[in-house]
Amino acid sequence: MIKFILKGLLRDRSKFLFPVLTVFSGVMLTVFLYSWMNGVMTEIIRTTAHFQTGHVKITTRAYAKEEAQIPNDLALTDVDSLLTSVRLQFPDIYWVPRIRFSGLIDVPDEKGETKKQAPVFGIAVDLTGKNETENKILDIENKIVSGRMAVKPFDILVSTLLVEKLGITVGDNITLISTTMNGSLVMWNFIVAGTVNFGISGLDKSFIIADFSGMQKALDMENCAGEILGFFKNDLYQKEKSSEIALAFNSNYNDKNNEFSPVMTTLYNQNDLSSIIDMASKFTGIIAFIFIGAMSVVLWNSGLLSGLRRYGEFGVRLAMGETKKHIYGSLILESLITGIIGSVIGTIAGLAIGYYLEYKGINMASMFKNATLTVDNVIRADVTIYSYFIGFIPGICATILGSAISGINIFKRNTSQLFKELEA
Amino acid sequence: MKMYSFTVAVAALFLLNQQQDAQNIIKKVEKNRYSDNKYVVSTMIIHGRRAVRKIKAKSWIKGEEKSFTEYISPARERGTKMLKIKDNLWMYSPSSDRIIRISGNMLRQSLMGSDLTYEDMMEDPVISSHYSSVILGDTIITNRKCWKIKLKARTEDVSYKKRIILVDKERFVILQDERYAKSGTLLRKVSVKKMEFIQGKWIATHIIFKDMLKRGKGTEFIINEIKYNVKIPSYRFSKSSLKR
Amino acid sequence: MIIPVFAIKNTFRAGIKSWLNAFVLSLSIVSIIWLQGLYKGMYDQGTRAMIDAELGGGQYWVEGYDPYDPFSIEDSHGKITHVLSEMIKEKSAACILIARGMLYKQGRMYSILIKGIDPEQEILSIPSGILKEKNNGIIPALIGTRMAKNSGLKKGDIFTVQWKDSKGVFDAMNFQVSEVMKTTVQNIDNNQIWISLNTMQKIFNMHSEATIVTIKKDIKPVNAGLNWEFKNLDFLLQDMKTLVQAKTAGASILYIILIFLAMIAVFDTQTLSIFKRKKEISTLIAMGMTKNKVIALFTLEGMAYDILAVIIAAIYGVPLLIFTAVKGWKMPAGTDTYGFALGDVLYPVYSLNLVFWTLLFVFILTAIVSYVPSRKIAKIEPAKILRGSTF
Repeated sequence: MIKFILKGLLRDRSKFLFPVLTVFSGVMLTVFLYSWMNGVMTEIIRTTAHFQTGHVKITTRAYAKEEAQIPNDLALTDVDSLLTSVRLQFPDIYWVPRIRFSGLIDVPDEKGETKKQAPVFGIAVDLTGKNETENKILDIENKIVSGRMAVKPFDILVSTLLVEKLGITVGDNITLISTTMNGSLVMWNFIVAGTVNFGISGLDKSFIIADFSGMQKALDMENCAGEILGFFKNDLYQKEKSSEIALAFNSNYNDKNNEFSPVMTTLYNQNDLSSIIDMASKFTGIIAFIFIGAMSVVLWNSGLLSGLRRYGEFGVRLAMGETKKHIYGSLILESLITGIIGSVIGTIAGLAIGYYLEYKGINMASMFKNATLTVDNVIRADVTIYSYFIGFIPGICATILGSAISGINIFKRNTSQLFKELEA
Repeated sequence: MKMYSFTVAVAALFLLNQQQDAQNIIKKVEKNRYSDNKYVVSTMIIHGRRAVRKIKAKSWIKGEEKSFTEYISPARERGTKMLKIKDNLWMYSPSSDRIIRISGNMLRQSLMGSDLTYEDMMEDPVISSHYSSVILGDTIITNRKCWKIKLKARTEDVSYKKRIILVDKERFVILQDERYAKSGTLLRKVSVKKMEFIQGKWIATHIIFKDMLKRGKGTEFIINEIKYNVKIPSYRFSKSSLKR
Repeated sequence: MIIPVFAIKNTFRAGIKSWLNAFVLSLSIVSIIWLQGLYKGMYDQGTRAMIDAELGGGQYWVEGYDPYDPFSIEDSHGKITHVLSEMIKEKSAACILIARGMLYKQGRMYSILIKGIDPEQEILSIPSGILKEKNNGIIPALIGTRMAKNSGLKKGDIFTVQWKDSKGVFDAMNFQVSEVMKTTVQNIDNNQIWISLNTMQKIFNMHSEATIVTIKKDIKPVNAGLNWEFKNLDFLLQDMKTLVQAKTAGASILYIILIFLAMIAVFDTQTLSIFKRKKEISTLIAMGMTKNKVIALFTLEGMAYDILAVIIAAIYGVPLLIFTAVKGWKMPAGTDTYGFALGDVLYPVYSLNLVFWTLLFVFILTAIVSYVPSRKIAKIEPAKILRGSTF
């Protein structure tokens, strides 16, 4: 029976191609839109995770308490062995050590005297090490506007607006004035390897990225790090999983009296992000609901139309002795097949667009001039596990529903009446 | 009425006398402290939240306005030099091979993590010319008899409006210096733990400097070596000597 | 006139599929209006909060003041000119003095901003009234919720602040948190404390000086004299505008797809109905209607979906939109940490303008989408069709 129906479907363009195309485009749109809205909604969370909180974060207890002050004097010590142990215990997560810092950039003139100064803040991430994790997480290489990636420990990447403000170019020597872990004033020379535009307007005004090992030396933090961030390998925050990891980690270090013992916090529990995450998923839910509703109606509509178009055919089939039930059944089965085929290729296409836009994003930079916000100029899609399924709801259910409703008319009409419509 | 005027007059005279006495004491203190050229090797002990750090430095000091300090240890700080001329402070760091003037907000930063700020380092005006003084009474501290003297700023641009110092009656060394904010809040306390007689002068060789608003034990200063009336070439107090 | 009436009748009579198309259209219309309203509400509410608490009708900045340059704060204070002090006397302006200080909490120092404001001022919604001195030697201070969280201060806490006055004299005093204000405006909260202007001028030795003079809403700025430059709301609200634009831009893809979807539905239906009704079309042409008139009829039929959609949208959309506008969208507590002043509850704002343009846009698009398939009618040969053969 299925073989017969398949043959019928494949041979009749109007029976197969058009419905499948409709389902395909509808499902593709649903999948893509869902991923896109996810991306829009979670943009703030993603940026914050990448630059600030990670999906989970390890600091000392004391550092966690005073985090707003970037207290590097309370940094984690013996970081190498801590990293080794968390990498062993939680291999599904990228663990990266970081140092956040603030200070002044001092630009010398030919005589070495101060020409210009500007306050800066920055992060030191592993740029010169073997693994490319940080480059991937922060997408640094793609954000370089001029110059090159930092390859030596004292190479530094400076945000474009800061470069403008200080009047420096790639290759220039600059001095960072900051405070070491011990509280001493430090002056350290860096070479401007490249200028970066993170497209995050709040960052681009006074942000620098330095190499982790270089900054360890500069700030007298050998084998120390302000924080260790953990990222899920698919770069998507998983609320439950991260709490489990934090719980497991913290049970190993439960020395509450030692303010320097490490403690892990999840993104959800940092910086009031929990409520934002909850709201974002609520909002995405509403949008998805509206959209799937609309999509279902369209597909139902097309199912209905294709059913209506075929009354003539049903008339002939009834005349040839097929039962009404059988025709109705085959109609439903046909729509199930078109629904599945359309949904599968629609989902594939939607995911492809989604992944492409997750990778490339759409640049909305022109809209963000002069702002001081931490909002990424490039809006990206965010393909989640739900993206894989969400298209099937309108794709299959609505199509079947459409056929089912239009097919009811088969029972209502007389054979002769349906047959008569063949002439139409 | 007459009686009242008399009392006021006696009181005023007494006060004047007290002030003169106080001024004389201060002058003696300064004479004892003052030396045209000094060479000092000192150790600063910083009690941090995590560890204790010892920082050793040698300094050349000319009068009240010029000083040059070079840090010797730990390795991390070795070669860092600081030059102070009047209200200007320059710092040289060997790691960057640059001389940078410390100004503005940077002055409020802690000096190597100690209780002192760079600003505090700059604040040590000649007492007699910036403060009027009056004896408040006698007291004993670390088994030494002292005068308790109140210092009041004469001009509006002195960092500390009020100071209360305890001066050793025999040795004319300030054993304790409390520095107050305009509002009367105690901000800094300098206390002397040890005095030594070196080259014919009594000097404080172990001092504790405490930022009273901060938690902790304060920062210790120990003078390891001091030489008076040494010859200091004039290039020592030039910016170019920072890089040598 | 007969054609529009005819078209509407045809559409209404077409039954369930007309209603489905209209429903999809209505869904697009309502969603677009809702979302746009949400963003408009976000902008309106954010700007209102900022205007009320921070910006008033604009601000005069003393020469050299730049809120983004921490170096500039040090020297950013100047004598209030005669013009400005007259405005302040008339209660049409309020001045704020800003300086840097060190807050000591649990033995650590934090660099903060100290802001002085007149407790009697009525220009800004900051609860400055509580800053009146009580003569107990402790200065009442006001902080915001974020500052409270970052510094760990609570209402009633006494803390020490140290600063240097304009002459360079060290000073330190105890301040008491007399209130933690819940504000959505970060610029009056982050890393700062508010005290009475008089006290501040006194303790900082900055008599009759200020950093910012904020004027009352709807007052025309005048030339305030040298050293004072007026910054209007367009300038001061730039960031807020950008944020909302960013959000709107992100959502615009949703509008495009929703509309696209509705248009597919209309297009599908049009194509099919022309295919199904070619006999009717032929009859109409045979009876003397020009082809253009028939095209117009079908285009109008397509557009009639809009009318149906508006009716449906009105039935469920109007109550829904009113409901959301009244009840608002509850924002979680930390929402403003990364964005802007939004408030606890976000109330969408639906302007007539917004509704009008959305509808017009949808109408025009539907017209185009209905017209394109109808052009096929021009190719119809009525004689052939009526005889029985197809296109």
